[in-house]
This record gives sequence, C-alpha cells and structure tokens, in this order.
Amino acid sequence: MRLLVIEDETGIARFLKEGLEEEYFAVDVAFDGKSGLDLAMTNDYDLIMVDWMIPGISGVEVCKQIRRSGSSVPILFLTARDTLEDVVFGLDSGANDYIKKPFEFEELLARIRVQLRKNNQDTDALTVGTLTINAVTHQVFCGSKEFTLTPKEFALLDYLVRNKDRPCSRSRIIEHVWDMHFYSDTSVIDVYINFLRKKLEQAGCGNLIQTIRGVGYIVRETRPESE
Amino acid sequence: MTIPGDKAPERHKTGWKYLPSMSLRNRMAFYYTVATAFLMAVVFAAILLLVDRIVFMHFDEELRHEVAETFEDAHVKGQVFSGFDSFRAINGTEGEAEEHEGQAKKKELDSEFIQLVDSSGRIVSKSANLSQNILTVNPAYSGVRYFNSLVGGEQVRQVQVPLVNSKGITEAYLVVAVPMKSAMLVLLDLQNIMLVSFPVIILILFILTRVIAGRSIRPVEKVIATAQSMTQVNLDQRIPLPHNQDELYRLSATINALFDRLQDAFQREKQFTADASHELKTPLAAVKGTLEVLVRKPRDTAHYEERIRYCLDELSRMARLIDQLLMLARYENDTMNPNIAKIDIAVSLKSVISRLEPLAVEKLISIRMENTPSGTVAADPAMLEMMIGNILSNAIKYSPAGSSIEIGTARRSSLLVCSITDHGVGIPEEKLQNVFDRFYRVDASRSSSTGGFGLGLSIVRKLADLQHIGISVSSRENAGTTFELTFPSA
Repeated sequence: MRLLVIEDETGIARFLKEGLEEEYFAVDVAFDGKSGLDLAMTNDYDLIMVDWMIPGISGVEVCKQIRRSGSSVPILFLTARDTLEDVVFGLDSGANDYIKKPFEFEELLARIRVQLRKNNQDTDALTVGTLTINAVTHQVFCGSKEFTLTPKEFALLDYLVRNKDRPCSRSRIIEHVWDMHFYSDTSVIDVYINFLRKKLEQAGCGNLIQTIRGVGYIVRETRPESE
Repeated sequence: MTIPGDKAPERHKTGWKYLPSMSLRNRMAFYYTVATAFLMAVVFAAILLLVDRIVFMHFDEELRHEVAETFEDAHVKGQVFSGFDSFRAINGTEGEAEEHEGQAKKKELDSEFIQLVDSSGRIVSKSANLSQNILTVNPAYSGVRYFNSLVGGEQVRQVQVPLVNSKGITEAYLVVAVPMKSAMLVLLDLQNIMLVSFPVIILILFILTRVIAGRSIRPVEKVIATAQSMTQVNLDQRIPLPHNQDELYRLSATINALFDRLQDAFQREKQFTADASHELKTPLAAVKGTLEVLVRKPRDTAHYEERIRYCLDELSRMARLIDQLLMLARYENDTMNPNIAKIDIAVSLKSVISRLEPLAVEKLISIRMENTPSGTVAADPAMLEMMIGNILSNAIKYSPAGSSIEIGTARRSSLLVCSITDHGVGIPEEKLQNVFDRFYRVDASRSSSTGGFGLGLSIVRKLADLQHIGISVSSRENAGTTFELTFPSA
C-alpha cells in the first residue's frame, strides 16, 4: 500500500514516514501544496494524508483539485484546526476522514485501515482459500498454522490479496508496494514473487499466485478438481 | 452570587414607577393622549364659558332693550320717577290680552315679563303673562342690576331698574324679566355633547396614536429582532436600514457599525485562538508522534538520542511560546499595571544592549549609539527594557552578518523619540501595518529558520499602549527597518 503525506512540519512528516514504513506502507512525503498535488496527480496512491495549513496551495485546495481530477483516492485530513466548522468544511471539501493534531499514532493507523478496507469488509483479516492475512498484526496463516514473511513480502502479498481475482500488472505492483525512491526495474517483483510462492507452498497453501503472461500476476483460489 | 435576572426588573420598577412595564409604543400613545386630553378639556371649558357669557350678554341686551321700550311707552325719560300713572301701558297689555286669551297666553309666557313695584314692595302693576307669579325685587340692590331668578319654577334673567324722584329717593322699581329655558337647554345640550364626546375622542385618539407610534417604531422592532438573533455564528447579520435618513436610520447605522467592530474583534480573537492552538498543537503532535513511533520498536542508541534531542528542542520552543502567550494575556487583561517612573533612557538602552550584544557579536553585527542618548522619560523600567529588547533582537535576527544597527534619541517638538534602525531585509510596504498583529510573520517561510512566533512585536505594541508610548515603524525593502518610540513628556 502506497501513501502520500503532504505536511510542511518536518518533525511530523518524519515520524509519519518512519512509523508508516514500519507498518509496511510505502510512503512519499511532500512539504508543500504544490509538490504534493503534483505527486498526487502523477502517482497512483492508495491513500493521501494532507495537512490543512501548508505553504503554497492549502490542504483544502489540494483536496478539491484531487477530487476535480476525478480521483476517488481516500484522503485523510491531518490538522491542528479543530472547531466544528473546520471539521465540516474539511470533510465537505472532499476528504474521507479528519484527524486532529495531536493524535495517537495507533488511531491514525486504524483510520488508514478503515479507508483501505474495500467493499466494507467488516474485519481486517483478508482470506484467499486457506490463506488468511491480518492487516493489523501483520500475521499470516495457512489454515490455523502461522508462518512468517519479510515486510516487503508481506506488503506484496497484502496488495495482491486485496486485489484478489484481479490481474495486477508489474508496474501497478511497483507503484503500490514500493515508494518513489525505488527506481529499479520491475524484475525485483519476480524475485519477491518467487520467495512468496516458496513460502506459501511450504505452509501448504498451494499455488495461489499465478502468472499472467505479459501482464503480471493474479491471486485467486485454486480448485484442485479443475486442475 | 447575584443572578442577573434578579436585578433587571427592580431597576425597571424604580425607573417607571407609575407606568410599570409599558411598551414604548403605549407610552408614546399614553403621553400624547394625556397631553391632548388636557388641551381638549381646556378648550371645551373655554367654549362652554364663552357661550354661557354670550348667551347672558344677549339676554341682558334684550332686557335693556325692553326697559328702554317700556320707558318710551310710558313717556318717561331715563330712570326719573314721574308717578305711577305713566306706566299704565303695563296694565294695558293685560287688557289687550284678555281679548284673545287662550292663544296669546302661551306666546306671552315666552316673551318678557314686566312688573312695577313701589319702594315699600307693593306691586303697582304687572304684565298679564305673569298671572299669579311675581318677579323678585331686592331693595338691597342699588342702581340697575341684572340677575338670574325664578318665576313659577322657570329660570329667568331679569333686570331691576330703580326709579328715582327729583329728590334722589327711589320711589319705585321697574322689573323686566325674560325666560331663559330654551337657551339653558341649548347650553345643557352643548355641555352634554362635550362631556360624552370627550372620552370617545380621547379613546379614538389613543388607539390611533398607538397604531401610528407602532408604525413609526417598527424599525426599532427590526433592530431588536436582529440584535436578538445575533450570535457568535451569525455575526455577519446587519439591521436593514430604513429609507428615510432619520434618527432610526442613524440608530440602525450606529448599531451596524458596532456590529462591524464586534465582528472584527471577534474575528481577530478567533484567528488568534486558531493561530495559538495551531502553534501549540503542531509541535505537540510532532513530539507525541515521534515518541510513539520511537517506542514501537527497539532502536540503536544514536537514533534514540537524536529523537529525544529533537523532542527537547520542540518542547523548549513550546515553553517559550507559552511564556509569550501568558505574558500577552496578562497585559491584555490589564492585570499588570505599569510602574511609571522618571527614568534615564540611556540606562535602559545600555542594559538591553549589554544583554543582547553576545547575539549580535555572533553574527558580526555592530550596535552603534548614534549620539549619546540622553533624556528622562516616564515609563516602567522593566516594560521599557522588554520593548527595546524585543525590537533589538528582531533587528539582530533580520540583519545580515557584518551589518550595523543604530540606536539614537532625538527631541521632536519637545517629545523624546528613540529610534532603532537596522539594515536588514526590510518589510514590504503592504505588510508594514500588520507587523504588530499577533502571530503575524512577514514571511511565513522565514519562521522556522529564525524560530520566532510573531508575538514579540505585539507584546511591544501592548506595552507601548500601557505606558502611553507612541510606536511607529518605517521600512524599505532590502534597505532596513526603523522603529521609533515617542515618549510622553515626562
């Protein structure tokens, strides 16, 4: 999952990037409205966090312009302004949620998870066949048996499972799992996919990740009888 | 504790003892009606009195005429008595009347009565229409006398004329009377009409004036409605101005102007609160978040040290901000009264310069006293030093390395002026008026590198106001800024 943080206060931007990366997110940071908007327009983010009072274009304006471009990316407002009018105004300008500074980091994570939950799933456990991954604790289970993944492997599997039954191109995977400082070629994905396949096989989940030639990969439940 | 609601009605009661809680509209109608009622009563009374007088004047005129006619018939000149025989005509009318009695009697009753009485009170002769009745004669009256009397129960106006012989002794009285019944009825009717119409007119008048007063004070109702609906959230409401530029227009305009100032003050207060909360919450969020992320995982010592140092810096910045905010709050609440004394400004300047010199030396900035500043000023020594200190540290902050700052004093029309001039980046013309505003920074991006909050100069302004010191600023971009303090004559 790739996030964009638009925040001018360096101290806040730093701990957000650090903390979120430790939660297996790929995080880009912009320190003003203009560069934040540029990043938001060029990259496909899974969630954008915007501070209201930032130099250049204000957070509200950034939010409005993102929405005007037709994007429905979840936007989370991050601000010290806390009056009712501010909250209402912020949400009305197109934000999905609003978190007041100072906030609990755990609460921020929970709110991010809410925005990333698709189709209103009621839990943070994602399943494909016998595979279960928990987005909160970062645990992976095959049936009831837990096995371990590296952060990057987890992020990759998490992304593929969230998009299960949909083919994911290599470039999309790169965009959503690695941050903007990663310019290496997409063959790194194949390496990680190999690692993942091995670990899944060992755990007994079978071949969940299938290659779509010329496109990328897809995660779907395999039915033994049809093979 | 006093409950505000308790006091209001009491004041109301003492203010309008006789007209408790009457609306302005009713009061206006009431006063107007009372005044008009009084005036009408006076006018009605005058009319009644005048008509009464005129009626009696006419009666008296008629009587005089009648007396003259009687004298003429008797061939008597004036009031000279020349024997009773001359007045035979009075009796004669009686004889004539007998011929066509029935019909004439009624007519005669409405006309004048004549009676001749001798000095002893004996009736010598009288007109036939008097029949059994006699006219009152009062010998106590001297000369010709007009008065009201009764004949057979009917009101009459009569005159008593003494007839005097050649020796000047009254021998007889000629008494003539006319009935007043019809005139009195007219008078009574008039009086009744007035008595009945008076309250009716007053009542109608009260209702009308109440309606008119209500209509003319309708704009006041609008003022009340607008003022009542005004709250913190809809301070942008204004009273609609009436068409006529009258007193109510001025009242509405004045109240609107008051609302403008209120809204402005409220807006500034809101902005200040928002700025203060932003300034406090941002470092708080940074410290809190940094520490939260820090403890999520074990890290190496250097990482811990770096993050803790960062947090400590942020905390001391917050502490400085809180100090400045508290200081500003104390001055704004006027809980800090200046201890104004006559002090030598040179002493204050030297004290501030020696305190800030190290900062200037660090940036290779020289602080120069242009002339030996001298002069006694009336100021609070601690406050004055803080003012000069804030201005000077600003000057050092925004001056390039190697430049100089000049401090000088001068007398301008007997007032002492102290100026502090730097050769720094300067302040753009359009931003000059805002430099004393709380949390105002000329260049927002400059804040992080210089570490200011934009409160220093607002504290200076507040302190200047408290001590009645004039403060002004002039600047040229990239040339420098001059602050001037004008002291009141000591």
